[in-house]
Amino acid sequence: MALEKISVIRLRDVLLVTVPSEPDDETVCALQEQVLAAMARHESKGLVLDISTVQTLDSYFARTVSETVQMVSLMGGRTVLAGMRAPVAVTATQLGLTIPSALTALDVDRAFDMLTLPHPGEPHV
Amino acid sequence: MYERLTAGEFRIQCEGDIVRARKIVRDAATAMGFGLTDVTRIVTAASELTRNIYHYAKCGCMRWRTVNESGKVGLELVFEDHGPGIPDLAKAMEPGYSTGKTLGMGLPGSKRLMDELTIESTVGQGTTVTVRKWRKLA
Repeated sequence: MALEKISVIRLRDVLLVTVPSEPDDETVCALQEQVLAAMARHESKGLVLDISTVQTLDSYFARTVSETVQMVSLMGGRTVLAGMRAPVAVTATQLGLTIPSALTALDVDRAFDMLTLPHPGEPHV
Repeated sequence: MYERLTAGEFRIQCEGDIVRARKIVRDAATAMGFGLTDVTRIVTAASELTRNIYHYAKCGCMRWRTVNESGKVGLELVFEDHGPGIPDLAKAMEPGYSTGKTLGMGLPGSKRLMDELTIESTVGQGTTVTVRKWRKLA
């Protein structure tokens, strides 16, 4: 199977990364490298990881995402995991996976608000 | 009730086979009528156990079949390798324990995701992990 394409798009000062539905280990590893390179290049303040099409989140994937969140954090950025499907959330929890220090959002739209609005959820004065 | 018999064997010998094994298991579990959450559980367990073979034994095989037992219908997956074996099975089932550079979630996590998990392992000869998931009645 060929390396699945990872899309890294810069929108305003946030990076939007779309994870393919069944990424192999090589793709997951490439994703980390591409994200870090893009963070450095664009001086982004954050990263939205769109996992809405991901069907299988296993321990290798979770570990790499968790590491990426930490690395982005060291570079001064915040990461929002967006759009995890319900069966994937159930499975990840039972498997015992946690992704500490990642913010989460129901979808990409809300994830963008979290990174770009001054105080999301609070009234603007 | 008519049940389409699902059975097969798949050789695991490269990293890309982890994703291929997931696809086979997803198709088999979906065809058997498992719900999406159970399909995701079974596929994720298969991913962990296939990766274990690839990482620790380099190659091995996965066999799958439908099983009928006292009126229950389920999917059985057997992961077999002739790798180094597991010296301490009790420790290998502890969450967070790993001899490789992994989270140590594969075996204990797979046990939680499936209904049954049994391991047989002999050091120097290999490991066989058998997991089963029973289909819930609609």
